[in-house]
Amino acid sequence: MPKQGVVPDDLTRPFWEAANEHRLVIQSCVACKHLQHPPAPVCRVCGSDTVEWKEMSGRGTIYNYGVVHDCPIRLLQEDQPFNVAVVMLAEDPGIQMYSHLPGTPVDEVPVGAEVEVTFEATANGQMVPEWRVVGSSGEGGEPA
Amino acid sequence: MTENAPATMYRTDEGTGPWEHRGKVAAVGVGHSPTARRWDGRAETCVGAISLIALRRAIEDAGVDPAEIDGLVMDPVTTTGAYWPKGKPVPEEVTSAFNSTDNPLDGIAGLSAEWILKNMPELTGIDFTMYGPGCMSNAICVAAQAVGDGLANTCLVLKSWHNYEGRYYQGGANAGSDLPGTAALHALWGTPACYGTALQFAEYCRKYGKNHDMMAPFIENSRQNGLKFPEGYWASHRPEEITPEDYKAARWIAKPANLFDNDLPIMVSAAYLYTTAERARDMRQKPVYILNHAASNTRPRSLTPTLDEVEADTARTARKIYEGAGITAADLSFENMYDGFAQFHQFHIEGLGYRGMKFGEALDFYQTDISIHGPNPILPSGGNIGCGRSRFWMHTDCIQQIQQRAGERQVTGVKPEVAVSGGPMPLGGRFTVWSATPD
Amino acid sequence: MILISFDIDGTLTVGDPPGILPMDMVRAVKEQGCLVGSCSDRPISAQRAIWASHDIEVDFTVSKHMLPDVKAEFEADMYYHIGDREDLDRRPALEAGFEFLWPHEAVDMPWVDGPDA
Ligand SMILES: [Zn+2]
Repeated sequence: MPKQGVVPDDLTRPFWEAANEHRLVIQSCVACKHLQHPPAPVCRVCGSDTVEWKEMSGRGTIYNYGVVHDCPIRLLQEDQPFNVAVVMLAEDPGIQMYSHLPGTPVDEVPVGAEVEVTFEATANGQMVPEWRVVGSSGEGGEPA
Repeated sequence: MTENAPATMYRTDEGTGPWEHRGKVAAVGVGHSPTARRWDGRAETCVGAISLIALRRAIEDAGVDPAEIDGLVMDPVTTTGAYWPKGKPVPEEVTSAFNSTDNPLDGIAGLSAEWILKNMPELTGIDFTMYGPGCMSNAICVAAQAVGDGLANTCLVLKSWHNYEGRYYQGGANAGSDLPGTAALHALWGTPACYGTALQFAEYCRKYGKNHDMMAPFIENSRQNGLKFPEGYWASHRPEEITPEDYKAARWIAKPANLFDNDLPIMVSAAYLYTTAERARDMRQKPVYILNHAASNTRPRSLTPTLDEVEADTARTARKIYEGAGITAADLSFENMYDGFAQFHQFHIEGLGYRGMKFGEALDFYQTDISIHGPNPILPSGGNIGCGRSRFWMHTDCIQQIQQRAGERQVTGVKPEVAVSGGPMPLGGRFTVWSATPD
Repeated sequence: MILISFDIDGTLTVGDPPGILPMDMVRAVKEQGCLVGSCSDRPISAQRAIWASHDIEVDFTVSKHMLPDVKAEFEADMYYHIGDREDLDRRPALEAGFEFLWPHEAVDMPWVDGPDA
């Protein structure tokens, strides 16, 4: 699905630069080791302003999902209805990422299934992490 | 310049005991503007103009001399998703009809306290203005605290909404080709506004073995109650019921949330008059005393709240509500918690333990008599589903029910003595406890 | 046989906002033997109430996403949906195999005034 382009800002630049290298990084507090996503200028737990970016394994599980039938973004309306799942990272199930789950049929989302990260290009070429059910068929970034 | 209320005005902490102004502040006047689906471009229907109508009606309702009013608390933001298009000229015939401020869109696409004061010359005594941004739920907490703290004695509270042509949320960044990096982490996947609630509802149904169809009696009841709210959008423009059959046949927006789980954006304004319990005694209407206000400042750990986070927070909110008001769930005559999106409502009332309800039981409760004539009224205001998106019907209804002047909507199966209203979301909501007596 | 599905809001004069197509037009189309009905975001019970209050007996009243059901239920040579929205009328109509008409196009169709008009 053709996602809108992304213009990295200061807060999120490391996340997007890593995605362009097909790496998934998440912000981590140096002081208390807390992972946080979305990122913030300081640690939301201990308030430390020393935060770093940690590479993740790219593995996770599907926590939940909804099926979007009436999307506010014009670019995506052509593809309605589509899945939007919430993935929990293997390193910390409290960290969530959204996914269109390429390869998974609409409304047939296996909640609890293992997923692995993949990277797809947005409209301006910026890569974005996406997720695919482990063992699901299909290549590329388009859902079945 | 009017400032936002400091965080200390909201009661966000647990364990602080009864509210220090419990029963010492009262609501004594209510004013509503007419509603419209969208602004028709005329000066007399702009968001500023309808606000003046609501304010003047609240003053009239309370029977107070405008010159005696010394406070104004309001929300300067008048939309959550309808934006004035960039570069579109501001209509001269509208701005010239009012005394303007430095912001040419003041009164059209937003509303400052300064605009109100410039256009209500009868308010000669106001020396306190403050913003309670977000919702009427926030503004009334700020007003209650301000009157209790002595910052104002007789205080107007105002919340207004504008709406324009075009589909809600579809302008701005959603129409563009690129998103800034931070927004993209949420927005790239194209989720409509109800998606987060739909997710929580999906998890709720899986956890407790419930389903979407079980919401039908709640939706039907909400619209029936809303059709008895003469100021509401549906009652005044399109008196349409939503039968269970209608509800189940509606299209999905973000499954499992459908069209009728969503509320309709409208233009509307409401104002209340708050004053001290002492001053309230000789006003025209029976005072409705504020026993407490409470707030949640909880943020989700990551992108979207989980059901566990929602349930922990609604339970925490309930403890704050009851502790500060010095009541228990058993004292509630009825409830008017937020419903726009409809799927918020069961979270709120389960957290409250309304009628002894536990987590996972609200949808079964909806299958029983939840009407205004039974012993367990659910959302007698009809809320946003019953009246359109304002996020304030529930507060107006609490006041009017307790004053015994809710008209056709008046609850008859319970004696209206103590009620709670508030929202919007479980995480980040603001809540008020209303009472027929100050203690 | 021609089947014509009418959106209501923004399409019919009774809509909110009002459209340009009068109820008399629907009545005329119906009297010529077309299958007619409404496909709208209004509650189905409200759609029925509108038709009843104008004394027009329609063949179907469905929600916005139900044009495929209409096509499955009624056999016709041509299926039209008339509406005012790209995302809620035109796209779903085309996907359901209907011809789509904007309201201003509908008034020029031969079945509006009969084949000899
Ligand atoms: Zn930390």
